[in-house]
Amino acid sequence: MRKEEFAHLCRNWPVQGGYSLAGAVVPLVRTYLFGNHRRKLPVIWLETNDSGDNNISFLNATSPYAGQVFTYMIDLLYSNPFMAAQGPDALQLLTNAAREYSGKFTLVVEGAVPTKADGLYTVIARTPERPLTAWEILRWLGPLAEYVLAVGTCASFGGPSAARPNLTGSRPIQDVLQRPVIRVSGCPVNPEWFVGTLAHLILYGMPEVDDQGRPTLFYRDTVHRHCQRRSYFDQKVFAEKLGDKECMYSVGCMGPATLADCPYRQWVDHVSWPVKANTPCIGCTNRDFPDGSTPFYQSLAQKRPKEGGRA
Amino acid sequence: MSRQRIMFSPVTRLSGLLSVEVFLEGRWVSEANASATLFRGFEWIMRDRHVTDAVYLTQRVCGICSTSHGAVASYLLDDLLNNSIPEQGQYLRNIMFGADFLQNHIRHFYLFSLPDFVRMPDHPPFQQQNLADARFDSATTRQMVAHYFEGIKASQKCHQILAIFGGKAPHQHSFVHGGVSVAPTADKVATALALLQEVNDFVQGCMVPDTERIARTYGDYFHIGQTPRRMLSFGLFRFGEKNEQVLWRSGLLKEQQVTVPQISFIQEEVTHSWYECSPEVSRRLGVFPNSDGEGYPGVSQGSGNDGSCERHEIIPDPYKRQAYSFVKSVQYAGETYQVGPLARMLINGFYRGGTSTMDRIYARTLETVLIVEQMKEWLGRLIPGPPPIQQNREPVKKEVVAVTDAMRGALLHRAQVKGEQVSRYDIITPTVWNFSPKDRQGQRGPVESALVGTEIPRPDMLFTVLGRIVRSFDPCLNCATHIMDIKNGSPFIRESKMVEIFG
Repeated sequence: MRKEEFAHLCRNWPVQGGYSLAGAVVPLVRTYLFGNHRRKLPVIWLETNDSGDNNISFLNATSPYAGQVFTYMIDLLYSNPFMAAQGPDALQLLTNAAREYSGKFTLVVEGAVPTKADGLYTVIARTPERPLTAWEILRWLGPLAEYVLAVGTCASFGGPSAARPNLTGSRPIQDVLQRPVIRVSGCPVNPEWFVGTLAHLILYGMPEVDDQGRPTLFYRDTVHRHCQRRSYFDQKVFAEKLGDKECMYSVGCMGPATLADCPYRQWVDHVSWPVKANTPCIGCTNRDFPDGSTPFYQSLAQKRPKEGGRA
Repeated sequence: MSRQRIMFSPVTRLSGLLSVEVFLEGRWVSEANASATLFRGFEWIMRDRHVTDAVYLTQRVCGICSTSHGAVASYLLDDLLNNSIPEQGQYLRNIMFGADFLQNHIRHFYLFSLPDFVRMPDHPPFQQQNLADARFDSATTRQMVAHYFEGIKASQKCHQILAIFGGKAPHQHSFVHGGVSVAPTADKVATALALLQEVNDFVQGCMVPDTERIARTYGDYFHIGQTPRRMLSFGLFRFGEKNEQVLWRSGLLKEQQVTVPQISFIQEEVTHSWYECSPEVSRRLGVFPNSDGEGYPGVSQGSGNDGSCERHEIIPDPYKRQAYSFVKSVQYAGETYQVGPLARMLINGFYRGGTSTMDRIYARTLETVLIVEQMKEWLGRLIPGPPPIQQNREPVKKEVVAVTDAMRGALLHRAQVKGEQVSRYDIITPTVWNFSPKDRQGQRGPVESALVGTEIPRPDMLFTVLGRIVRSFDPCLNCATHIMDIKNGSPFIRESKMVEIFG
């Protein structure tokens, strides 16, 4: 498949029951790997300072499911939640993977990186000699990786982990790595954004990204642009409260200031998304989430008076 | 006998980051220090925000149990704003909460716990499993590995039920204060029922028989990893216009007696936790009491800090000597208590077993079966209609506390407000109960007690045995990393009667 067709697949595939982007890309990746005698994408996945919601969201990928991503797309060499190895064996696997796949592995990071107190607010492992902080491990692995993927808004932009007053000095991983990072933001990430980006890396290498490092495959348009309630907005018919069927701008919707394809991709096998649940989009893919989105139920015009309610 | 220090780190297959330091004397574990190594500070993040931000923001505490934080924050706001929850909203809330429980329990059993007992295929992410004590034959092993992958699908369906009503998962949107913003339309109910039927088939056809197989084959684990028989639950599945009833009762189980827990008996301290509360530390770390200069009430304190906490808040200090965890020590009336599915099943009389590793695993599967049955009933009681939500806007109180049980046990949120702004927000998560480090008397929390005294039959079985015991508590260290102090004289936990809601 040509790259343009793949982009079309990611962006414009009609959303209907039973369709899944992962379902479409896994056979493509299998055929590609088999035809080119290549092995699966070697991945080291670090969990740093976050809620673990991104690995949970990844498990919500559908047909094929996360298990098939392990089997057919990636070799998950290190992952705190998923690996069978434990204790020193797990650390040994991390060291071996970094050495054996130096320059070839993809580093997936979920979570921000605390930089205060020498990084001690997030310790990946303790050895008898000393703690290994997320900060230290990232600075070790970052330069060795072929690609670095920030998954979720904490790793991408700091997110809730860096929300004010940010006691831990949490930073986006880009800030501590000094190298290009693909930012697949979201709180959590939509599993299709993540699996789709992995597929692009395997098939075509680095995807096109916007000025904030996000793949344009998924973050090209505002939520507002494709919202099912856009006609209410255009007619200036606004919801009075949560649960109403009109435009959610009046109760805090961040749709006009948020880049994501939620209105048509939706969540968990395409069943719903926040506006369909009669609540506002809270802008969870944004650089300034959550501080730029709170108070969640206050309108954009009130939240951002200086910008006239615009992003 | 020489004492050997072992660092079990990282403890993988859980949410968050955990290390456990153990000391061996001969073949026996003589001491254990469970170390939560992740701190986020949500109590500070919640300050000076609009109090209604609590539902969406505190869900970001935890990815695997997000609905429980959304639920307890909703109960808190209902109390603060004096909301009355429509009946259909009560059913919908519990359907969504139940779906997240099923997701959690299936993921814990298959993704986290199963590789402790079943030999996985030797390729990523299962390489170097080093299961020193595999007991299943190859046919059974093949079947259970297949169920691991089926478990991923079944748990996805649980989150799909949650997303049908909640907009997305994790971090659902519709279970908020005042009820649920989504209408229980016929198509949603029918789809949810169909998905629940698939989950039911998986639970009955795979999870129950697999649990029984593991319990039978590893029967010795009914004697390994035992804790003192002290269990605590805040009750689960709230009903009533004012959230005043719970389906599964709250309780404090001690020596076969079940009593009603009261918040004023809960105490925390930081002897072995990476926190301090002195003015010097406040200055060094650049953290000060809140802007209007009011101090915060302290908790009973170890390490010679008596009194100083009256004026200074407890703040993280990862350099503190003698400390080994971001979890504080929490006690009820001076004693540590275990929380989680086993506590709920024992307190409600649904299970009559012990307090071992296998009892914890068994009780979690039993609870999964019971929740599936409840959800069928609740879905059957939904009547298509408008969104069942009624939100008041004016706070009627200045301080509120709300409790529920979450997947891993007792969960508490407390807020103080000035008008509609949060001046203080506290969270005690279940992991804080189970993973309490030692207090100043050296009293161990449930996980540490379960580890100490364990026999390691062969050196190559060390991490296998320790891992089984620790994971039976369903560790979530994302949730562990939050602190609070309890003010003396806080309101009682509402008396939670065993309500026969369905006659």
